[in-house]
Amino acid sequence: MDKVLKIEQAAALVTDGSILALGGLSMNSSPMAFVRELIRQGKKNLTLVAIVNGMAVDWLVAADCVRRVISGLVSFEGMGLAPNFRHAVESGVVTLEEYSEYLLIARLRAAATNLPFIPTKAGLGTDVIGLHPETTRLETDPVTGEAYVACTPLPVDVAIVHAHAADVLGNVRVDPKLLWMDNEIVNAAAKTIVTVETIVPHSSFIAEPHRTTWPRFITDAVAEVPWGAYPTSCFPKYGHDKAFFSAYSKAARNPECFRTFWDSRLAGPDTHAAFLQANGGAATVNRIRRPTT
Amino acid sequence: MTDWQNSPAAEDYTVDELMIAVLADQFRNGDQCCNGMASFIPVAAFMLARLTHAPDLVWLPSSGGLESRPDRIPASTLEAPLWRDSIMYIEQYSDFWNFVLNGRWIKKFCVGAAQLDQFGNANNSVIGDDYHAPRVRLPGTAGLADMGSIGKKLYYWNPNHSPRSMVEKVDFVSAAGYLNGGDARERLGLQGGPQLVVSNLAVMDFHPTSKRMQLRSTHPDVSIGQVTEATGFELQMPESAVPETRPPTQKQVRLIRETIDPDNMRKREFHRKS
Repeated sequence: MDKVLKIEQAAALVTDGSILALGGLSMNSSPMAFVRELIRQGKKNLTLVAIVNGMAVDWLVAADCVRRVISGLVSFEGMGLAPNFRHAVESGVVTLEEYSEYLLIARLRAAATNLPFIPTKAGLGTDVIGLHPETTRLETDPVTGEAYVACTPLPVDVAIVHAHAADVLGNVRVDPKLLWMDNEIVNAAAKTIVTVETIVPHSSFIAEPHRTTWPRFITDAVAEVPWGAYPTSCFPKYGHDKAFFSAYSKAARNPECFRTFWDSRLAGPDTHAAFLQANGGAATVNRIRRPTT
Repeated sequence: MTDWQNSPAAEDYTVDELMIAVLADQFRNGDQCCNGMASFIPVAAFMLARLTHAPDLVWLPSSGGLESRPDRIPASTLEAPLWRDSIMYIEQYSDFWNFVLNGRWIKKFCVGAAQLDQFGNANNSVIGDDYHAPRVRLPGTAGLADMGSIGKKLYYWNPNHSPRSMVEKVDFVSAAGYLNGGDARERLGLQGGPQLVVSNLAVMDFHPTSKRMQLRSTHPDVSIGQVTEATGFELQMPESAVPETRPPTQKQVRLIRETIDPDNMRKREFHRKS
């Protein structure tokens, strides 16, 4: 079965109010082209599962697509806080359900493996546990008397991840295999949508099965979007665009500047190619492209 | 590189370089260490330790490549340039967690936070009394909450020592230090815990029984009064006189400036107005 869709069609699979898990980590491999398409389609009331994230969450929050964020961290790392996310949480427009990284991994694993909970000592003693006593339950092992945190399943409607390559059947390759926490969200999700840098022949998977990351029964749709993680990175093809992050943060200090930035460089362009063009086109691509080794 | 220790004390150095040298001294040959994101000072300290007294230090950056040999500190401590010449890629974070959740491996974690309190609890989540209506929404706990509870020895760095960053009680416990002090941490079944706090003014550790933070040394040209004034709680004083923090050697400063961090990434977190 051919699973290739245009990115517009793939984004249309996400319904308002659903729980959407975003792949990648911080500045790495975020499915940004897909996120931009969600914004263009005006999605509403999404719950985002974004374990360690920055720009993708900030875009979706800025576009008023989000009601709740389940996360361990949202920031632009050394470049500061994610401005729209920060203000939306401070003003209560968006609810943040904060967990630690491993607590989220454990909750996703519980969902993926059909278990009532996964126990861990991670997070024990912190205030994080008390924020949501029903999903991270503080318990004591009746046999050893040891305290642990019981992490209950975190169900995900749709996981969206960015990868290097796929065939039309939906076999996927992340190569080199740097998966962050993408496996956790994919395994927990009812549906998985993958954006890829390139569609490759099915025969290449048979020729090199050791390079396959996800088999086709896991994926529901594949969309080909070269440079689809921009302005985050897709190692080793390209790095994140520091200039975009700086310009975005700077624009966010003033609502009028941000509106202009948003319309001209972010949500306005009607295709991913036009979006790249609006952000410097070939010059930008050449700047972030990594030398092949 | 063997002459680093006999190299004379530097006269021309900055406080970031002193902090890097103090932290590097905590990581011994054969130790296994890791760091979090936006961690230019810890990364510089690991790199300095490897170039001087600890060539066999195992360094696990919090993502990507293991035991990498970056040619210099890049702009993100979570991205590819930091993984240069790694011995392996961490294929997925669950591999990272398998390494660190196992009590035997990667025992030292070097990290910063927006607030630290007198018992070494750390906050990187919110500033303000009401968690749900915070004055400032900070990045979040991420791995900090995990690492504080799984038996690691924690080494904190704080580039902006002030009553706002060194508080009596953190607004939110993102990472477990010694909780309410005494044996509170032990009673919860948690091993490890905060060992040292290296700030831009002083070096602090924790009293062996009360677990309150105490002054270990003040940096050159910083008085004890300056440190206590910049601390939002009663800093414990050691029984003996408070020595001066040993400045970095000329060789260490040269390594930091010329080899490890020619782009001055280490200066990024200093004097930040929050």
